[in-house]
Amino acid sequence: MRGFWPTFKRELLSLVVTPIAWVVAGAFLLIEGLYFFVVLLSYAAEQSVVVGMGPAQMFFGGSVFYYFPLVMACPILTMRLLAEERRSGTIESLLTAPVDALGIVLGKYFATLVVFVAMWLPTLLYMMILAAYGEVDWRLVATGYLGTFLVGSAWLSIGTLSSAMTPTSTVAAVVAVVFILVLFLLGFAADKVDDGALRAAMQHISVASLLDDLSRGLVDTRKLVFWISAAVVPLIASVKTVEAWRWG
Amino acid sequence: MIEVKRLSKRYGSFLAVNDLTFSVERGEVVGFLGPNGAGKSTTLRILAGFIGATTGDVRINGFSVTDQSIEARASIGYMPESSPLYPEMRVREYLHYRAELKRVPRAKRQDAVDSSLQDAGLGDVDRVLIAQLSKGFRQRVGLADALVASPPLLILDEPTAGLDPNQIRDVRALIKRLRKKHTILVSTHILSEVGAMCTRGIVIAAGELVGQGSLDELRALRRPVAVKIRIRGEVVAARTVLEGVPGAHAVTLESQPDESAPRFTVDFTDPADSDAITERISQALHAAGLGVLELVPTSSLEQVFADLTIKKRPVEQVGREPRP
Repeated sequence: MRGFWPTFKRELLSLVVTPIAWVVAGAFLLIEGLYFFVVLLSYAAEQSVVVGMGPAQMFFGGSVFYYFPLVMACPILTMRLLAEERRSGTIESLLTAPVDALGIVLGKYFATLVVFVAMWLPTLLYMMILAAYGEVDWRLVATGYLGTFLVGSAWLSIGTLSSAMTPTSTVAAVVAVVFILVLFLLGFAADKVDDGALRAAMQHISVASLLDDLSRGLVDTRKLVFWISAAVVPLIASVKTVEAWRWG
Repeated sequence: MIEVKRLSKRYGSFLAVNDLTFSVERGEVVGFLGPNGAGKSTTLRILAGFIGATTGDVRINGFSVTDQSIEARASIGYMPESSPLYPEMRVREYLHYRAELKRVPRAKRQDAVDSSLQDAGLGDVDRVLIAQLSKGFRQRVGLADALVASPPLLILDEPTAGLDPNQIRDVRALIKRLRKKHTILVSTHILSEVGAMCTRGIVIAAGELVGQGSLDELRALRRPVAVKIRIRGEVVAARTVLEGVPGAHAVTLESQPDESAPRFTVDFTDPADSDAITERISQALHAAGLGVLELVPTSSLEQVFADLTIKKRPVEQVGREPRP
């Protein structure tokens, strides 16, 4: 894994000094902040209170406002990773250094994962606000963040692969959104399918059912394995794609 | 230092490099010459490990670029043609990053960056954003990048392209200084650069080796096909003398009637004999009592290359020419 650290540091610097990460994080926090506010209002008015589901659980995967910013943020963070290197030609300097594709792909991927985690950190404040005015089950909060981390890892990985597939950043973003939505909808439609095996499979890959489990504190190893695979497999494919460029 | 054996690269049906064999010894500064589109960049990219060869064997510093790619790449400081850089980084930041990527040990990195900045003449702009640099400075950042890990071999793809005359002189002077410490392969489509920088030249056209050798051997390629003459004397007398010289086959009057000294262009029957014919022209004019004011060979190496390229161009490439 040659070239991981310098690539990771350079990519992180690049994300931080260009507006993209800030715009994404700003928009994300604005939407999540408003969402949290609405969740609090509705709980305060004692409307639509689901038994066994507090505001913290509602916040993690309880509605489309949890998913929508993520579906947009992950592809935007990853779209430039490899596509921009190819568009601008810097890939030539990068690949003629004594580095390997694994180091480059992982360095870039982890840089976006760090930004993703940093983007979520301020939401800890929301949990503290909740704790100040009521009861918070921190174990459920932890599993909520675990689910978010797993979903983010997988979606950023899908975004990385999309960025390896095309030299155009915007195309990479669109491809990633499509991949993510297909995966999302397949899981979402699980309840509408009668067939037992197919239904089980679809539930297995459902991001909603993952977060539903986790927000109730239920950690299903099979789902963990799926989501970790969903992060690892696109990364392997990205490494193979980068290695294949020299023959392209 | 570089061994290339029977190298070919095919893009679809287009043969970019065809059965190329050459080598570069340690300590040489070799000019890699050819007109635009000859396959220079493709060859250098294969040497640098950026693209793979279709067939053939390439060894850098004893390492195969396919089987020992990392070791081969670690031996090279490669400067791509367009000097692609990250615009959002500062010059020093970028070179630090490149030094780390090329595994310069942490303790030596600062010195390595400082000396590459100095060698490339970037001392004053080390904290400037790359996005704000001019073309000439970007080229120098590319050069500094090639130097930063002190590799034994430098491969520079058209380092003077797009620079102004002063910058070209600076780059040539730098390459002359660098040849004390590095083996250098430098590509160019301008022949005079070989004379300015190199000990030897390798000439390719349409992906094939056309010639290689020392500067003298390359100069031998540079045979004038005609000579321009300005004479003190009568037009008719001069023409008679010129037409009588063996090897001179077409004498054209170039000057206007009101010019005091007539000018002629004399074509050679056989460019291989150019030196002898030029000498005979000079002697004949002198013997006839006509003063030779100017005697200028009219061919450049560029023209020789143009001729070679046209002859060597495979049929499949003809369709790729831009239409007027």
